[in-house]
Amino acid sequence: MRISLSDVRQDLVLAHEQAWSALSEPGTWWSGAQRRELAQTALLAVIEIEPLPPWVAVSAVEGKISASTVASSSAHDAVYRIARHASTLTKEWYERVTQEIDPLAFVELCGIVCTVATVVAFRRALDLELPELAAAKTGEPSHHKPDNIVDATLNWVPVVAPADEIAAVVQAFTAVPQTNRVIWAMADAQYIPDKEMVDPHWTRGTLTRVQMELVATRVSQQRECFY
Amino acid sequence: MLSWSGTEQGIEIDLTTVQAATGGVAVSFAKQLVDFATAATEFNLTALAKSRDQLISVAGVATTIDTAAVIANFEMMTRLADSTGARMETEVVANRLIVAQAMGVDKVVSRR
Repeated sequence: MRISLSDVRQDLVLAHEQAWSALSEPGTWWSGAQRRELAQTALLAVIEIEPLPPWVAVSAVEGKISASTVASSSAHDAVYRIARHASTLTKEWYERVTQEIDPLAFVELCGIVCTVATVVAFRRALDLELPELAAAKTGEPSHHKPDNIVDATLNWVPVVAPADEIAAVVQAFTAVPQTNRVIWAMADAQYIPDKEMVDPHWTRGTLTRVQMELVATRVSQQRECFY
Repeated sequence: MLSWSGTEQGIEIDLTTVQAATGGVAVSFAKQLVDFATAATEFNLTALAKSRDQLISVAGVATTIDTAAVIANFEMMTRLADSTGARMETEVVANRLIVAQAMGVDKVVSRR
């Protein structure tokens, strides 16, 4: 039996559409053209059947990405590595990357990868066609920086204060509110709305909570994510 | 979260069944859910189509779509966690070590 996009819940379709459109729009630290280009590299990483190994930079391989990119080659290299080999990342790698990319721009870059990975995974699982990236929109990044950004103990990346009072995954993108909103809107639609997280009996009427957690655990295990 | 949600619903979860991708008997459609999640995270499109059809046949289209959504969410969350260096506090890691060992993820690079 074939599933079509019209079978999918509207809240989920909308969350994906909004996140996908935002990939071609100016962000907080990257322009629309840069975001779109980085999304293309993430797309390449998650759909390649024979990926580059983690130690090979995508920008160093002829023909993988354009020779003249608007985002730096180090940004493309980081995107490819996160998209395809996230479990191999180390703090030393993060420190090296953020010598070339501002930590807040890095947070936004992670959000681009997360958006591409989640939409592609959903479409691929249901054999739905992948959406096209829209043309890049002009305009400057907002450079919006919250006043209260601090270092965290539970994350490499800086977060909004107070640090470490909520789960590390929840505080991870708080220093870039625009990215944070997009990602958690998708999480609410895909998994469990934030306010329902503490209820072990919450359900949409399809999967029970324990079934959801079984699937979540299997994916995390497949991706070798210790967290 | 899996152990917790199972306990709260009076279901004992054997985590080694998740590692072995066999699912458990205490959770409805466990094998079909685990098979679908496994195939969706690999690049075998034949296995993916087969596991999707099997899940649709036992659980229906809406449940299969919501399963794909959970898979997609954790393709996102694992990258979010690993790219931002998210880690749990030392005491939490110690408490969860038995679970991690049962699932075979206690030695992965992303443990930090």
